[in-house]
Amino acid sequence: MPTTPDYKLKMEIKTMILDTLGITDVPIETIEDDKPLFGGGNALTLDSVDAIEIIMAIQRIYGIRITDQHIAREVVRSIDSIALFIADNRENKAI
Amino acid sequence: MVIPDFTHKMSAHCESGALTSLLNHAGLEISEPLVFGIASGVFFGYFHKAKAFPFPTFIVRNKPGQMRRNIEKRLGVEFAEYRFKDPALGMSRLDELISRNIPTACQVDFFYLDYVPSWERVHINVHFMIVIGKEEQQYIVSDAYFPQIMKLDERSLEKGRFAGGNMSPEGFLFHTRSVPEKIDLETAIRKGIKKACFNMLSIPMPFLGVKGIRMFARKVTEWPNFARDTEHLSHEIMKINILLEDQGTGGAGFRFMYATFLQQASSILRLPTLKDLSQELMLIGDGWREISLFAARIGKNRDLGAEKLGQLGAMIAGRADAEENFFRKLSKVVH
Repeated sequence: MPTTPDYKLKMEIKTMILDTLGITDVPIETIEDDKPLFGGGNALTLDSVDAIEIIMAIQRIYGIRITDQHIAREVVRSIDSIALFIADNRENKAI
Repeated sequence: MVIPDFTHKMSAHCESGALTSLLNHAGLEISEPLVFGIASGVFFGYFHKAKAFPFPTFIVRNKPGQMRRNIEKRLGVEFAEYRFKDPALGMSRLDELISRNIPTACQVDFFYLDYVPSWERVHINVHFMIVIGKEEQQYIVSDAYFPQIMKLDERSLEKGRFAGGNMSPEGFLFHTRSVPEKIDLETAIRKGIKKACFNMLSIPMPFLGVKGIRMFARKVTEWPNFARDTEHLSHEIMKINILLEDQGTGGAGFRFMYATFLQQASSILRLPTLKDLSQELMLIGDGWREISLFAARIGKNRDLGAEKLGQLGAMIAGRADAEENFFRKLSKVVH
């Protein structure tokens, strides 16, 4: 059964993204959990360079190294997908 | 019809993934990292001025096709290979092979694969995928970059297989012909590691192996001399990230995949040192990923002055030192 990511983890992730990318003009509460982070449709609109920054921040903060770019692409799709990934893989450090 | 019992699997890299799937289908249970490592896939080459490349570039694996040849040599596997001048003949041979339930790997130009979203299509003439069936005018395809089996229009496949340009596929097909009953995996792993160490440390060419990483570190500061303008330079600098992270490398220019190979090899050879070296290579890979990010960031911000390119060069030189040290230690473990 997949772990259900909680509100606290999602807030942590949003803070991590804003801090990592140095974004100061997007209020954290406007970032929607289920909307894509790339290509518009969310308060945050990120690009591929931001994606690498997020992947490296996940490794730095949560100790999970994502070594497969196909997985990485799926992981960084939304706040929900990042949260689910972190919750499921905290013990398994290299994916 | 679809070939029965073929198991589709995603993999990090198209060529090692296709080889792995074909070997698995032929009854040899082997992982993609083991295939990559036994085939001495890890490499580095820097091309500052080469006819084939209009702008300086680099490679992070051995040349296309070499993995297949190394796997044949080291595992005793036999692959059947075909090249065609006539597209009609090339397509009918493929039909004949799949009608005999033989999963067949095709070399294609990635651009013509109509199941790839248009924004992801680029001309790469050395993409490999496996055709496992045909229904009316559509081929059933196992492409390691996609989570499920895909369908590909007959005309698109023909265009992809017979695309022109550098390293054109020429309709190339291959499939497993035979797999030996007994395979000496331990010897194959040792040979694969020895060759990888030789390639990285001892090829007497200044642009190959660790020497190539050093040349890359020195010469990247000269890249502005090759660029038409800042836009062009930023595009080429950002390509460093694509070549390291986003072309089926498994991350960090295949270093993560080779680290996984060493971890698996450690169990098979009962050599705990290989596990330590695997962890060391993961950290070296993290350094390559830092380079990816740095290059992508300065490219995106058009921050491409001498100081930044100098910093980039210094980071790359750091990888050369780390890899030289790493491969020297690795070569001693399997001597």
